[in-house]
Amino acid sequence: MTEVQIMTQDQETTKVPEALDAAAEATANGGDAAVDSGVADSGEAKENAAATQAGAIVANRDMAKDRPMTAVKRTPNLPEKVSVRNLSFFYGESRALSGINLPLYTNKVTSFIGPSGCGKSTLLRVLNRMYDLYPKQRAEGEILLDGENILSPDQDLNLLRARVGMVFQKPTPFPMSIYDNIAFGIKLYEKVKRAELDERVETALKSAALWGEVKDKLRASGLSLSGGQQQRLCIARTVAIHPEVILLDEPCSALDPISTAKIEELIDELKENYTIAIVTHNMQQAARVSEYTAFMYLGELLEFGVTTQMFTSPELKQTQNYITGRFG
Amino acid sequence: MALYGSRRRSSAIYIGLCYASTVFGLGWLVLILISLFWEGFGGLSPAVFTEMTPPPGSAGGLLNAIVGSLILTFLGVVIGAPLGMLAGTYMAEYGRHTKLTFVVRFINDILLSAPSIIVGLFIYEVMVTRMGHFSGIAGAVALAVIVVPVVVRTTEDMLLLVPNPLREAASALGMTRAVVISKVSYRAARAGLITGVLLAIARISGETAPLLFTALNNQFFSTNLNAPMSSLPAVIFQFALSPYKEWQQLAWAGALIITFAVLALSIIARVLGAQRTAK
Repeated sequence: MTEVQIMTQDQETTKVPEALDAAAEATANGGDAAVDSGVADSGEAKENAAATQAGAIVANRDMAKDRPMTAVKRTPNLPEKVSVRNLSFFYGESRALSGINLPLYTNKVTSFIGPSGCGKSTLLRVLNRMYDLYPKQRAEGEILLDGENILSPDQDLNLLRARVGMVFQKPTPFPMSIYDNIAFGIKLYEKVKRAELDERVETALKSAALWGEVKDKLRASGLSLSGGQQQRLCIARTVAIHPEVILLDEPCSALDPISTAKIEELIDELKENYTIAIVTHNMQQAARVSEYTAFMYLGELLEFGVTTQMFTSPELKQTQNYITGRFG
Repeated sequence: MALYGSRRRSSAIYIGLCYASTVFGLGWLVLILISLFWEGFGGLSPAVFTEMTPPPGSAGGLLNAIVGSLILTFLGVVIGAPLGMLAGTYMAEYGRHTKLTFVVRFINDILLSAPSIIVGLFIYEVMVTRMGHFSGIAGAVALAVIVVPVVVRTTEDMLLLVPNPLREAASALGMTRAVVISKVSYRAARAGLITGVLLAIARISGETAPLLFTALNNQFFSTNLNAPMSSLPAVIFQFALSPYKEWQQLAWAGALIITFAVLALSIIARVLGAQRTAK
């Protein structure tokens, strides 16, 4: 963890990346750089401290419009499990994502950060086409999973979702026993003997670090577990069917710090076998668990790169502002 | 302080009115139950459950009517409940935002409050007149028509209560829509769905009007669905209106049996419902 340092205010002024253009730099006087840049013209707003938060967001938006600033730094020669190409997404008429390009590298953890409503959960839900459950939602562009476009109409959604598993923000155990919660998914795809099924359930529970806590009450309802245990049960359930990619949508936001720590450890172990994408509002969590980070803002991908680089010397002003807690 | 005092007074008056109307409403129910007990309990005897409805002036029981009611109610539920469940499932799961669902819900609500005698007349026209005679099956179909809207409504309501993330989680494992519904949604809503069916049974076991036009009645024991069939409500209707003492006594006994059967079903439904919310 020591290599990942969250940027402090002192560093900010000294380490402003060169990529920043003159406009941003000109207003970058001290710690208030981002706050002031957009509202510099109106003298009132400058004095009005209460307007700073909203001002900052507007300012960044304007800057982004003036010059499309995105910094996607790929790592050459790493195999891409998933490649998102020029992806746009619409809820009815309103555009939620535009022109997203990024890779999910094989057996790496990629975290998605950004303020609420920036589209990171939406992006995750496109990756297994969860949006297809609802009318009037559509995606444009391409998402290649092992080179095949999963957005094509021929894609079998159930087979896709078996390959791209998902864990949700709130734990969602099925209303059945702990054992069945896991066995159910396995039995959907494979005919397995009872003994083998027992074994698979045990392996899944172990890989979710839950076995020790539930091995004596496998027949108890999944709903009887605590929140953290339920979430690990959901991860076990996802792992049990051997997906290739696992999508985690704020998996720890409803959990206490101890459960969170357990799940983060788990993510670390899971990446041996799986490609993982995680949406999180917790900067430290993103820094702790992921190798790559994508910063999204207002439906666009602003910056993508190696996590350690993103958190110490981000290319873009917005990224820097966000991860230092200046807005969002 | 004066203002507070007046608020306290109006609060006391309001609470008093609430209590008074509750007592007034429940009072009638209690009176009905007491008179039912008073008149009906004396008539309850083993003969009621073992002998057929008698001709005027002689002793007998209600066996044919009880069996007839059980058959008709059972068939009504067997025909109506699956239809209602499937329709409710369509509305809550597949066609949640479609126009069709809106239309079906509207019509269903009308059907739900339609007078049951209309249902009886309808089945009389489509079945009894074509078959040329009254029959048990026509009675069962009439009851099924009453079951459907009740079950549609409860099924839709209960499935709508199932949280969407649960469906998404099931889909995220790669389950087909049908599996998600049958293995996850139904399970999550199970107590509510059973409650709906029990309430439908409670509703039809007391229905008289639709049976008078369809199953009619039968003095004798009959399980032939192609022939008129006896039922408790119809027998109560006939016997209670008669001038014969024995018949009137049997009508009271029959009313008591139905009331308690419905009461038991309602209690079971409530208990199941309470379990659901407690979870």
